[in-house]
Amino acid sequence: MAGKSGRSINNVPESSLKRAFLSWEGILLVLFVVINIFCACYSEYYNLNSLLRQMPVYLAEVFLMLPMAYILVLGEIDISVGSIVCLSATMSCIVCNTGAPFIVVIITALVVGTLCGAVNGFILTKFTELPPMIVTLATQIIFRGIAEIILGSGGSISASNTDGFRMLAGKVGSVPYILFLVLILAVIFAVILGKSTFGRRVYAIGTNRLTAYYSGIHVQKIRMIIYTIMGTVSGLCALFIVSSSYGANTTTGNGFEMDAIAMAVFGGISSTGGKGNLAGGVISAFIIVCLRVGLGQKNVHAQVILLILGVLLICAVALPNVVKQIQRTMKTRK
Amino acid sequence: MEKKSLVKKITGSREALLAIILLILFAVVTVISPSFLTPRSLMDMLKNNAVTMVMALGMLCVMLIGGIDISIMSTLALSGMSIGMLLKYEKISSPLLAFLIAIAIGVACGFLVGLVISRADVPPIIATMGFMYVFRAMGYLVSNGGEWAGAAALGTFKDFATTKLLGINCVIWVIIVCYVFFFWFMKWTRTGRKIYAVGSNPSAAEVSGINVKNIKLLVYMIMGLLAGLGGALQVSIYASAMPDMQQGGEMDVIAACVIGGVSMSGGRGSVIGALFGSLILATIAKALPLVGIDALAQNTIKGVLILVVVVVNVVLQRVADRNALKGREM
Amino acid sequence: MNKKVLSAILCGTMIVGAACPVFAGTADGKKIALVGKSAGNAFFEIAAASFKEAAEAEGATVDVVYPETATADAQIKVLDNLISQQPDAICIAANDVNALQAKLEEAMAEGIKVSSFDSAPNKDSRQVFVNQAGTVAVGQALMDAVLDIAGGEGQWAILSATSQAANQNAWIDAMKTIMEGDEKYSGLELVEVAYGDDEPQKSTDQTAALLEKYPDLKVICAPTTVGIAAAAKYLQDNGSACKLTGLGLPSEMIEYTGADDEHSCPYFYLWDMQGLGKLSAYATIALVNDEITGALDETFTASDLGEYTITEADDGGTEIVLGLPLQFNSDNIEEMAKLY
Repeated sequence: MAGKSGRSINNVPESSLKRAFLSWEGILLVLFVVINIFCACYSEYYNLNSLLRQMPVYLAEVFLMLPMAYILVLGEIDISVGSIVCLSATMSCIVCNTGAPFIVVIITALVVGTLCGAVNGFILTKFTELPPMIVTLATQIIFRGIAEIILGSGGSISASNTDGFRMLAGKVGSVPYILFLVLILAVIFAVILGKSTFGRRVYAIGTNRLTAYYSGIHVQKIRMIIYTIMGTVSGLCALFIVSSSYGANTTTGNGFEMDAIAMAVFGGISSTGGKGNLAGGVISAFIIVCLRVGLGQKNVHAQVILLILGVLLICAVALPNVVKQIQRTMKTRK
Repeated sequence: MEKKSLVKKITGSREALLAIILLILFAVVTVISPSFLTPRSLMDMLKNNAVTMVMALGMLCVMLIGGIDISIMSTLALSGMSIGMLLKYEKISSPLLAFLIAIAIGVACGFLVGLVISRADVPPIIATMGFMYVFRAMGYLVSNGGEWAGAAALGTFKDFATTKLLGINCVIWVIIVCYVFFFWFMKWTRTGRKIYAVGSNPSAAEVSGINVKNIKLLVYMIMGLLAGLGGALQVSIYASAMPDMQQGGEMDVIAACVIGGVSMSGGRGSVIGALFGSLILATIAKALPLVGIDALAQNTIKGVLILVVVVVNVVLQRVADRNALKGREM
Repeated sequence: MNKKVLSAILCGTMIVGAACPVFAGTADGKKIALVGKSAGNAFFEIAAASFKEAAEAEGATVDVVYPETATADAQIKVLDNLISQQPDAICIAANDVNALQAKLEEAMAEGIKVSSFDSAPNKDSRQVFVNQAGTVAVGQALMDAVLDIAGGEGQWAILSATSQAANQNAWIDAMKTIMEGDEKYSGLELVEVAYGDDEPQKSTDQTAALLEKYPDLKVICAPTTVGIAAAAKYLQDNGSACKLTGLGLPSEMIEYTGADDEHSCPYFYLWDMQGLGKLSAYATIALVNDEITGALDETFTASDLGEYTITEADDGGTEIVLGLPLQFNSDNIEEMAKLY
């Protein structure tokens, strides 16, 4: 069965090259190349330079995908991240406008994010009966609501001193810092999820929470840690969002949670928990970024882009299953 | 002795707890703003939340089998926008036909969603997230890229929401009919019980001869049907069809169900629960501007209230469970 | 094998999908990109259509581009795309005052002219703003309408869109200033500014709450198209004594407009939407042709619309004011509703 090898946790690494290509990640890599060729043919503006220049705004959302993958592997969901981004961005702008040094601004954004994440984690671990979706829905409204109160009438703030944010948006040659940061973080998150004890425990909880609990895993502690880290990373995302707009407003980060979830799921991370790995998530994130940039450069209607992404998302998950079912019926017929 | 059993009955049932929460909410709001508890104000509230209330029933079915559907408001926009445009360009004029077309579009959307979920084993949240984009985009395409169908374009269709029957607005009759029907359907029909069975234990249901895949398909079609109905109601109530209507509203529907005690992992929940859940949300939405909370703080308070209601529900449930256990120890 | 088939199907889907509506951009002629606030906004479509018509008559090509959502974040992505394409000019209706500054400055540094209309980004991020009607003029018109409809005195309230909507806030502030500055408005009492988020449901809740909280409320002023329609419907259905005015689309308001008791809105305002689109087009082309730079007191001829002068805007930048707001009442609404 080639179908599921890349999507389950008990994939015994096989050295066979053929096997590697037939895994979900292999397909994604091929797709990545195909998409890039397609975009380059389709849009005359699509080249490495324009891609690197346009990427940073999208890459900020890729940050969110990394801890979101952990939450999805747990079999849970966090839809408050967009609002955490909004609140962190708002607070960092406010601190920035008091004339504080930029390091304080960075710390503010991260701390606010971490606190918000910790609030989610606290509620979810104290009241384990509550579904994460409803709790994070409530905090989604609350965090953005707090930002609305802070921003007051007008609902928008701009950073008076943009030097620090300009530095964040800086580049080495033509490669933006954020690309390096995304890749470094992706490797760290992927290694921890795939190779460490902590990662194994996350999979164990996602596969069967009760069994995990009885085998001595601190389920609630791990959940708490993951939700808190989700908040911290949202704070990081907020910094880069501010560095692209030098300000924050009440709609900052709107809908980021869905983008992050879509990237992870397209990468083969199952929303029902226990399956998938971050390699797929990262490749799929770049596929989505490249596709959006390529189509966007030709001014394809935004709704049509979303339609294509929607179809892609459904097909990505449905087709392997359908193919498998067809295989099965073929076999039984034989 | 009898009194004790009554107390137990109340604390033991989720619906009763919700009724208490709702009563407390009503009392608090009425004390602050006496005009809240007038028939007209309550009718207004029901009418203005009709879409959420009706769709909560579909979400109840979906969540009973352990699924979720976040594409519903896109289905609503697609069906609502379609009849809006049909009425605007005078392709149809009969309100009944408009309702039927909206419902048919909704069922078709639900069928598609259900097919992908039941036959291709796609996790519901992913499938419906995809369809959320797809249907919404189709809604935009139907609207010719952003036309609205205003009150003048909707002719007699919008009168449905202003007509009264036996002193009660037609929209509210739709809510009543839907709830009564579903109360009967979920409790006393074979299919209704099958939905519960599939939700509680899919493999057991499968073994006992229930076609789980078909039940899943059916449930998403019911959701689609109600989303289509919701589309028609939305256009009729507000006398306006816009492609971006109710964007993000699916979360309200889900919240209504969860507040109403419907479990997100399936198998547990009731029509009465969904009713109370959506009434609690409706009361919050109606009361927030009424009790004089600063306009900018209203969203925060709404979020806090949702959180408080679900947490209080959990705490009360824990107390009830502990009491039940105490009885057993004796 | 199957996996290869699968990826082929996936790619096929995308190529088919991508081949859908694509705006053809020709190399010759001036290229202008018109950026909207969001897709599906009837209000914007009307102006965009006449913008396109006017610009194309002048030999330019126009791409109308929409962000995915009505947020500044989404507009930043759109601007990134446009900078890659190097059009001659970008004309934008901004979702946020400040958030687009970085990208618009980058665009201007690349030699792209930046104009804006409907709702302006801040003064550093644009060369010129085409204002549909002077902020003070709109505030004055609405204030006088409130005074007239209320009959000289009484309570009134404002139903706005979101707390973030820049142009709404500007009009509300202008109204407040005018009200405080003139003795004749002393009988009026502004009881509340409510926000309906441009959603019919929330706007209806807010309208109902206003009526229940202030039973003596005489006038609601809703300077937003969705809000005014929702409030008009609620007031009319309930036969309320409270009347309505504000800014709205005639085609949306035709059922509710009339001087008698049966209608909830005696009259309301908007500006010449087609004129706004045209003037924005001519101003943008003038920028591209270096006829104007966006500096104060420059003049240019906007084809059949006549001559316009660049004036100072409230935020310290420059703007071109289209004209006075138009009043829509039972006499002219039938006719105007056919236009927009």
